[in-house]
Amino acid sequence: MDKRSSKTRYQLASNRKSFLGLTKESALKGLFGGNAFVSIVVLGLITLFLFKEGAGFFGQYRDSLLLYRQSGLEYVELMRGQQNALSALTRYLNSIRSRQIEKLAEEGYDFQESRAIMEESEDFFYDFEDLAVPLREHVIEANEILSAARDSYQEMQNLSEHRESLLKSGRQDEADALEIREIDFALFFDIVKSRESEYIKINENLIRGIEGILPSTPDFGDAELQAKTERFKELAEMFIEEVSKFEENVLAWERSRPVPISEAFTSFIFGKKWVTNSSIQDWYGLIPLMSGSLLVAMVAMFFAVPLGVGAAIYVNQVARSLERDLIKPYIEFISAIPSVVIGFFGIAVFGTLIREVSGWESLAWIDFFPISERLNAFTAGGLLALMAIPTIFTLAEDALNNVPLSYKEASMAMGSTRLQTIVRIIVPTALSGIISAVLLGFGRVIGETMVVLLCAGNRIEIPRFAEGIGVVFEPVHTMTGIIAQELGEVVHGSMHYRALFMVGLVLFLISLLINYFAQKIVMKFQISRG
Amino acid sequence: MSPSKTVVRESMEKSLFGKSTKSKLVERLVFALFRLGTYFVLLCAATIFVDIVYKGGKTVFRSEFPFLNVEFLSDSPQTLHVFEYQGRKYEMSDSNFRSFRQGIDEPIVTETYAYSGGGIWPCIAGTLLLVAGAMIIAMTLGVLSAIFLSEYSRPGKILNAVRLSILNLAGVPSIVFGIFGMGMFVLAFGWNVSLIAGWFTLALMVLPIIISASEESMRAIPQGMRDASFALGATQWTTIRTNVLPYAMPGILTSSIIGVARVAGETAPIMFTAAYALRDQLPWEGLERWYDLFFQGVMALPYHIYVVSAKIPQNEYTSRMQYGTAFVFLFIVAAIALSSILLRIRMRKKYRW
Repeated sequence: MDKRSSKTRYQLASNRKSFLGLTKESALKGLFGGNAFVSIVVLGLITLFLFKEGAGFFGQYRDSLLLYRQSGLEYVELMRGQQNALSALTRYLNSIRSRQIEKLAEEGYDFQESRAIMEESEDFFYDFEDLAVPLREHVIEANEILSAARDSYQEMQNLSEHRESLLKSGRQDEADALEIREIDFALFFDIVKSRESEYIKINENLIRGIEGILPSTPDFGDAELQAKTERFKELAEMFIEEVSKFEENVLAWERSRPVPISEAFTSFIFGKKWVTNSSIQDWYGLIPLMSGSLLVAMVAMFFAVPLGVGAAIYVNQVARSLERDLIKPYIEFISAIPSVVIGFFGIAVFGTLIREVSGWESLAWIDFFPISERLNAFTAGGLLALMAIPTIFTLAEDALNNVPLSYKEASMAMGSTRLQTIVRIIVPTALSGIISAVLLGFGRVIGETMVVLLCAGNRIEIPRFAEGIGVVFEPVHTMTGIIAQELGEVVHGSMHYRALFMVGLVLFLISLLINYFAQKIVMKFQISRG
Repeated sequence: MSPSKTVVRESMEKSLFGKSTKSKLVERLVFALFRLGTYFVLLCAATIFVDIVYKGGKTVFRSEFPFLNVEFLSDSPQTLHVFEYQGRKYEMSDSNFRSFRQGIDEPIVTETYAYSGGGIWPCIAGTLLLVAGAMIIAMTLGVLSAIFLSEYSRPGKILNAVRLSILNLAGVPSIVFGIFGMGMFVLAFGWNVSLIAGWFTLALMVLPIIISASEESMRAIPQGMRDASFALGATQWTTIRTNVLPYAMPGILTSSIIGVARVAGETAPIMFTAAYALRDQLPWEGLERWYDLFFQGVMALPYHIYVVSAKIPQNEYTSRMQYGTAFVFLFIVAAIALSSILLRIRMRKKYRW
């Protein structure tokens, strides 16, 4: 602080008491300034800290991906992809089987009779299941060899860390006593790779086997089951075509391909899997969480925007003054309901209510009703809408309130009705404010934690958007929810911990972006009031 | 509005505007739709209030003297024992059950329900402590910073940037502050899960709100009021003390009460920084040194609601506990919020320029 500047030019203030060369005025100014400085620094620190804790993530993730590749587990995973496709096929076949059992029971056959009927087609099912065995065994063997290598590599890593710490504390003898081997992944991988010809043979047999077995698909003599078997044949043929693609990928895979840091980055931002504590490889992909967050937010905004903006227009333009004086504080009051209480209401009442309503006979024509999960994106979204409405309402009402009265008067004087004035004059004038209100409401919804943690169902999977509107009744997991759920159990500094910080950072950036645009829009389209 | 009034009004409109046209019909329809939407929102909120007040009231209130469920408000959460003894059905919290069992020789078969007995006093105490500490930190930093930003700092690009970033931080999700508090205070500073870590996390969360709202209310005071004071020879501080702060007080108070409601209501920031799911002692019990008070975790109402509604098996006994806790919590937060709204309405009428 410049001491001199606080004195006036004509030394009028010179008779003031001073302490350590500071007058009361400058001391106070220093106090206020110091506080402001601390506040701003601390708030800036949050940003820095998030970046610092999150930044280490990509390095760790890259190392993890590199290990995954070098140990050859990625190679096994490619083969496992094929195995999974085959299992899916088998599962479909089994679903035909169980449907057949249901049908037989419905038609009134008793146990012995239905067994006799099922025995006719039994061979086909068993034969098909047998086809999958060689591939499965091959994958399991390869996996065992490579995971053993990976595990002992990690053990050696731990040992050498231990030795480092021993050396640091000067315990040379103990450190020397540790036996640390180099693990050569290439050695292990070559064993697996050398059996590639086996894999090719397995595939040949598999294709021949399926092709051989398909013509003998049993005839159930029932339209529904027949359609299912036809579908099964199609799927099987698709699988046969895919086999060569899987094989190509497996053969083309190279252990020595480097893992650039950008790959860690893309597999975080565009990763489709969020898998933690896995025995094979942990995946930290943002897409399942991001899409869950967006789905919930979309549901919430679908309700909150029309209701919030509509209520703002109603209260500001249509309602009588008594109504206005009651509704405004009431809606502001809604924003004070703690989110955890709303979430609790969702668990206790709203979720059950939705499931019950979806089971009504009169709604049976909707193809995704009745829903199976009580807690889903819709439950969370519906409740979040109630939390977003006060935000949208208050800000939109402010914007409407700021429209000069003369605009309205001019419009009315031209003979337009109140509705025409609202639609053509008032809303367009306040549009920038309304848009920013909607944006800020969206920000509130995206950042809300407790409601989604309690009511969104917490299933980490990308919602199946292809299924149309029914997707909103799927359980999802969100970015905020995953932090709240998993942060409690992670090790400080581990990759998982840093991954959660990265998610937090993404949330932070999203909210900054929303706020920034909300302000930009307001400033850019501000009406000039002459 | 009485029906006769409506009729009068409608007939007036008819005589004034002549026969109803298509656009009038549309207007009436659209307005009805708006009204419907608005009242639908109010109804939804009312449903939540009524549900929680009705079901929670059963837990909190009693039909005979002293009309309050004293055990619920003064005991700590315990396991509930439900058993039959000599043909009567008993429901007892763990401590009561132990003393009850002492006089009886025969073994009693009970069903136990975790978290369903006792009360929520430690949670109430913990929440009050958290709010008090966080608000002291946030108010000191916030109001003093606001005074500096509004009265002392020179307008310019830097000030605008600072203002903008504070405004932006006000919209950052609370879980981000939670993860920050966890990384910074709990782990990096080594405070562990403690009251003080919760204080700072919550204080930082509301700090942007308090700064921007307080500054806003100071800047809203016309420059003329300051100039008049300066013209009389008053110093800057005197001007602030006599001509700025008194008029800005309503705004500062409202913003701080909103801050209190927010601090009391948030769960995400304290989940990892300050809240324990269960703790036997009250915060001020069993302290070895006085400052141990700051370095211990507490139970808190919002976290307790989360624990009892998401982490334990559900049954009728836990449901009573859940609704009771939600009711008390809603009551506390709603009282704070309501007082802020009333205060603002009152103050607005008092100061006008």
